[in-house]
Amino acid sequence: MQVADPHDGHTSKSVDQTLHELRMHAVEMGGLVIDQVSSAVKALLERDARLADVVLSREPLVNEYESRLDGDSLTFMALHQPVANDLRTARAIARSGVELERVGDESKKIARFAAKAGAGSPHDPVVSVARHLRHMGTLSTAMLRNAVRALDEADPALAREVLDRDKELDEEFATALRQVMSFVMEDAQFLRATIDTVFALKGLERIGDHAKNISEQVLYMVEGERPTKAKKGDGG
Amino acid sequence: METLVNTRAEINPRQVAPMQGDTSAQNSETPSLSIVLEDRKVARANPPKASAEKLNFWYGTNQALKNINLVIPEHQVSALIGPSGCGKSTFLRCFNRMHDLQADTKYEGAITLRPDNVNLVGPETDPIEVRMRIGMVFQKPNPFPKSVFENVAYGLRLRGISNRTELAERVEKALRAAAIWDEVKDRLNDSALALSGGQMQRVCISRALATEPEILLFDEPTSALDPIATAKIEELITELRQRVTVLIVTHNMQQAARVSDFTAFMYLGELVEVDATSKIFTNPSKKATEDYITGRYG
Repeated sequence: MQVADPHDGHTSKSVDQTLHELRMHAVEMGGLVIDQVSSAVKALLERDARLADVVLSREPLVNEYESRLDGDSLTFMALHQPVANDLRTARAIARSGVELERVGDESKKIARFAAKAGAGSPHDPVVSVARHLRHMGTLSTAMLRNAVRALDEADPALAREVLDRDKELDEEFATALRQVMSFVMEDAQFLRATIDTVFALKGLERIGDHAKNISEQVLYMVEGERPTKAKKGDGG
Repeated sequence: METLVNTRAEINPRQVAPMQGDTSAQNSETPSLSIVLEDRKVARANPPKASAEKLNFWYGTNQALKNINLVIPEHQVSALIGPSGCGKSTFLRCFNRMHDLQADTKYEGAITLRPDNVNLVGPETDPIEVRMRIGMVFQKPNPFPKSVFENVAYGLRLRGISNRTELAERVEKALRAAAIWDEVKDRLNDSALALSGGQMQRVCISRALATEPEILLFDEPTSALDPIATAKIEELITELRQRVTVLIVTHNMQQAARVSDFTAFMYLGELVEVDATSKIFTNPSKKATEDYITGRYG
């Protein structure tokens, strides 16, 4: 049944406006966090302590974004009492804020390691898995970028793409882990650095999970159904 | 058009998943824990108390209800929402034949009341008999210009109850059921018109409850009340479902969300969608419903 002449937006323009602002805020935060991840990985690979410091100095800003997003979405729910897709949108944005904040935490940990990693040597464990680190960094930021874009554009196809790519990241992590293990078996003198490297790899793998969680929020926001495992492979 | 029962089966067939202690269903596939948890969040439809079947209604030549099929589950609260003029009040008033008071109106189809399968809108059915079984509470509190006691006793006296002790007992029971006994027990002989709006409305609910109706109809029961009085009435409606089946028309969608188990959305005299209230307000199936409840609608 069709409703005669439905208006495109809300009768109350402030609802549209607030939802738009919330979304813009989440997208801005997403941009910052993606940069935090790629900078942290770059700092680690290129032994750039200054870049690592930049990442660390921006971490409070990420937290500030998250708490503002949380507060604003709560205020929106209290004042406008949204239902149906509006409610799902507000919730998806707030939850994505939490996921992005955790991504920020992971980049902080990688940056801390980068800041103390020093000049390194040819036998450094970071060097031994540099290729994997670089690949995982690229993959996780690409997943994050698509997840944030899917949130911005309410695009379920893009969100599903992120879910599908997570497996690739997990496989890369498993390969890198095997590499680190054989490295440490050969030479135990870099034990501390090896542990930190494993944490960095694990951090990137977790970032993929956060991107996946954001995408699941997007799917729930758009489709009103929680994505099931069976739906993972579906296109759009 | 869906009915509550059909919709329920369509939307979530797992609602009939066996629960703990339900041995009758042990033979069927045992549901996983997650399915059981999910089911508990969704209201289950009780057996029907009444059902509208192909109900049409005309004011003169103007058709106000078009082929309505809707099941009202017993001891649950069903809410009717929709824009002004969508037919929700017209539908509600069919249940106690209020349209009979108006000339040039016509019913077609049936509203079947269980368990005896009386067609409430059938020409053979006595409207007075119908009103004995279906109580109604209106938008504005409308107590009679009599004492609190006499207001509640009115319907009982009409039914031939004259024994003072019995009257007193039943009036107290009705006032307690409407959560107003404590406020009026010392003022039973005062005029009901001297009470506050919220109290008057609860006296009207007591008056409707006194004759122990099977269905209680509420037509915008709180739109003339302040927020505290509204909260009290809403709480009362939630409790009332234990003794009576409730059908409520409301313009306040948050109210429908707060008090009802099932919500039906009507538009231009048609039933667009009916489902568990939690489903309607998080993920309605029809775009028209979503547009209305989110306010994207002129």
